[in-house]
Amino acid sequence: MRGMAKFVEPVRILAVVLIALAIGFVITALVSKEPAQAYTALLTGPLPRISFENGFAIKNINRFGNWLEESTTLILLGLAVSIVFRARQFSLGAEGQMLLGALMTAVIALKLSLPFPAHMLLALAAAMIIGFLWGLIPGLLKAYLSVDEIVSTLMLNVIALQLFDLLLFNWLRDPAAGFVGTAPFPASAVLPLLIPGTRVSLMTILMLIAVVVAWFLMARTPFGFELKMLGANRKFAEYGGVNTKRVIALSMAVSGILAGLAGAHLSMGLLKRLTINLSPGLGFEGIVVALLARNDPRWVLLAGLFYGYLRTGAQIMERSSDVTREVVLIIQAIIILLITAERLFPFVQQWVQLRRSRGEAVVEAG
Amino acid sequence: MAALVEMKQITKVYPNGVVANKGVDFSVEQGEIHALVGENGAGKSTLMKILYGLEAPTHGEIWLRGRRVEIPNPHRAIELGIGMVHQNFMLVPSFTIAENIVLGSEPRKGRFIDRAQAIAVTEELSKTYGLQVDPTARIEATPVGMRQRVEILKTLYRGADLLILDEPTAVLTPQETDELFMAIRTLVNQGKTVIFITHKLVEVKEISDRVTVMRHGEVTGRVATRDVTEADIARMMVGRAVFLQIDKPPVLRGRVVAEVRNLGYVAETGRPVLRNISFSVHAGEILGVAGVEGNGQTELVEVMTGLRPATTGEILVDGKPVQRQSPRRIRLSGVAHIPEDRLTNGVALDATIAENLVVDRYNRPPFTQRGVLFPQVIRKHAETLMQQFDIRAAGPDALMRSLSGGNMQKVIVAREFSAEPVLLIAAQPTRGVDIGATEFVHTQLVAKRNEGKAVLLVSADLAEVMSLADRIAVMYKGEIVAILDNGPELTEEEIGLYMLGVRRQEIVTKAA
Ligand SMILES: Nc1ncnc2c1ncn2[C@@H]1O[C@H](COP(=O)(O)OP(=O)(O)OP(=O)(O)O)[C@@H](O)[C@H]1O
Ligand SMILES: [Mg+2]
Repeated sequence: MRGMAKFVEPVRILAVVLIALAIGFVITALVSKEPAQAYTALLTGPLPRISFENGFAIKNINRFGNWLEESTTLILLGLAVSIVFRARQFSLGAEGQMLLGALMTAVIALKLSLPFPAHMLLALAAAMIIGFLWGLIPGLLKAYLSVDEIVSTLMLNVIALQLFDLLLFNWLRDPAAGFVGTAPFPASAVLPLLIPGTRVSLMTILMLIAVVVAWFLMARTPFGFELKMLGANRKFAEYGGVNTKRVIALSMAVSGILAGLAGAHLSMGLLKRLTINLSPGLGFEGIVVALLARNDPRWVLLAGLFYGYLRTGAQIMERSSDVTREVVLIIQAIIILLITAERLFPFVQQWVQLRRSRGEAVVEAG
Repeated sequence: MAALVEMKQITKVYPNGVVANKGVDFSVEQGEIHALVGENGAGKSTLMKILYGLEAPTHGEIWLRGRRVEIPNPHRAIELGIGMVHQNFMLVPSFTIAENIVLGSEPRKGRFIDRAQAIAVTEELSKTYGLQVDPTARIEATPVGMRQRVEILKTLYRGADLLILDEPTAVLTPQETDELFMAIRTLVNQGKTVIFITHKLVEVKEISDRVTVMRHGEVTGRVATRDVTEADIARMMVGRAVFLQIDKPPVLRGRVVAEVRNLGYVAETGRPVLRNISFSVHAGEILGVAGVEGNGQTELVEVMTGLRPATTGEILVDGKPVQRQSPRRIRLSGVAHIPEDRLTNGVALDATIAENLVVDRYNRPPFTQRGVLFPQVIRKHAETLMQQFDIRAAGPDALMRSLSGGNMQKVIVAREFSAEPVLLIAAQPTRGVDIGATEFVHTQLVAKRNEGKAVLLVSADLAEVMSLADRIAVMYKGEIVAILDNGPELTEEEIGLYMLGVRRQEIVTKAA
């Protein structure tokens, strides 16, 4: 039975993805004069081309790089969201934690001068710490004052953005740059490159480590057990002796560490500086990844790679055809709808059943 | 007499492969009270859900008044005059009783619900069938007993001739049960037919005309109630003789394990719920707590187990104060707790059986060693307990949600008993549990006592308290009004006088 369930689940998600892609193609066909070409760009764009014309060569390695870079950020954010969602805490704070993570790396990178690797490590640590603290705030508010985490994290996101802009404009900005941004980070505070010709950096390896650590944390530690019990039934966890307040606060804080790392990736790995409008909304893409992966870190890795592929393909399609990337937004939306709808399905079924019995909004009481 | 309902060769296989009904033949005659009994998981609720159109049978036919019918949904069932009150109620908490009753086919005045009419209808129904409710009270503010009457009135409002009541008495106090039985008799006198699921054989004898017994998804007996004894029915249910009476060796009272001194608790609303409570539980004894439900028993247990903070007073376990400590600290000092409301805090429905069985011990060896959790050890532990406590389920990884009510209770009992407590607090430990499992829980409680553990047994079932306890504390309006030695000379009537506040012991504070 359990084996079946384990097997059915991925198949179902795969089906959802395929359906979404098919609908996406229909839409592309409607808006494009050359739909096949556009869709090919979307689906194969991120792959490097191997050419044998002038001897062996790999072309378009940068596209392949874009895919890995994008996925690295998405996976870190997906892990962050998975941890809070596992505990059924609907924290939406990854965006703000990511921004502040990036901001802290800029402060360390530009205001301190240290040798490599100490400089880089310190910047990474700062990003993780600020993420932790920025997650701890809504965590403590929820645990001890019952402040709704959806509201508090959205507000903290706004505050984080204001802080980011404030420090960037007034303190970190390089007046010599032609745009609002800092000077490039010194080499000592930049993540070492992994694949030449791309921006794939050490962070991709750190991301893989993060996947393993998050999996271990959730599946093989008492804290992970507490997260799950809290998510399953808070009163039960309390009755069993779990300090649920501590777990609520920590779940959001630990999640912040990973979001902070995602921010460090943007600044220290991809841009190598800080710019305004760092990456609006990226924090929320982590939610899609976590939803696809059912909050399981092992699946977050796959879901992040898939989702990163789709986003990179979308950029390539936009550049090389007459279709804009909105098509991909539609595909994303369909995926989210289908996956959440499938979870809603049992409720809908029950509701319909009770409607039929001249029913009512059903609430179990008793 | 012609059968009102005939279910023929009903088989039900759930999508997960569980065969809940196997070729069941079931019939009910017009105007009778028909009891449906059987162990937890025997398939009673499933059979009734099929009759009410909530589940589709895999095979089989339903005949109503001599005609074959299809019941694909509850709407059809209601059209056919079949109504069902579920094990878990389905009411809208924020609505008033009158609104709940008319919901779905409301009397209207233009586009709006005619509230006055709804209230009038409710009062009318309530009077006709002798089921008292307060039409304007909100569901969330009404006690369980009244909610149940609302459920019954609701089915009657929709025109039910055949009422299915799934374990209606599991949540009721003895007084409420008596009232319910009176109402059921009124219903039958007015030409209704009632199917009644219960685990309490006393009730079967008291109210029913005929009994159908189910076991492992099959019907094992169908008899006229007057022809059989409780023991006969028990044997048909379990497949062996069941000891309804527990043998207890004389009490060997040891040291004081738990002592409660001048305990007080004031609810958030400012209402004093517990007042000046003092008693002690000794090693090797079962102290029963009797009382009409809602007199502070729930709060007493929750305060003692750390789920609510005491306002005043002291609780000592093995001489160490534990009041106002966290549930974990209290558990670590040797207290185990079978909670009264298992769905709220006794289990996590979306976690596995294995996980449910370690919620109090996952962070200790052998489950966690040097900070690392070992899921395999947790599964092994579950396998052992499932065997030891006869928990019937697909396996340790099965979700709690897929278990029948009785098996859920066994999971809780298994966890709390295997915690090796010095003080075991058991609140309503056999509520909704079949007689085989009840017998099991009872023998286990007595075994704990015989091992020299202290047991505090809180139960709304006076018969249960009287058959198990060595001493009985009676609660009334948040106070302990008497602590009585249990023995052959103690009668239910005498306890009843204390329970209703007619009498109180003066020396009770000292008797502790
Ligand atoms: N929705 C479901 N999906 C899968 N299995 C189910 C479902 N509902 C019940 N079962 C299984 O079917 C069997 C019969 O369950 P049912 O609820 O009919 O028992 P019951 O006789 O009402 O028991 P109880 O006295 O504990 O209420 C049990 O093994 C139960 O685990
Ligand atoms: Mg049942």
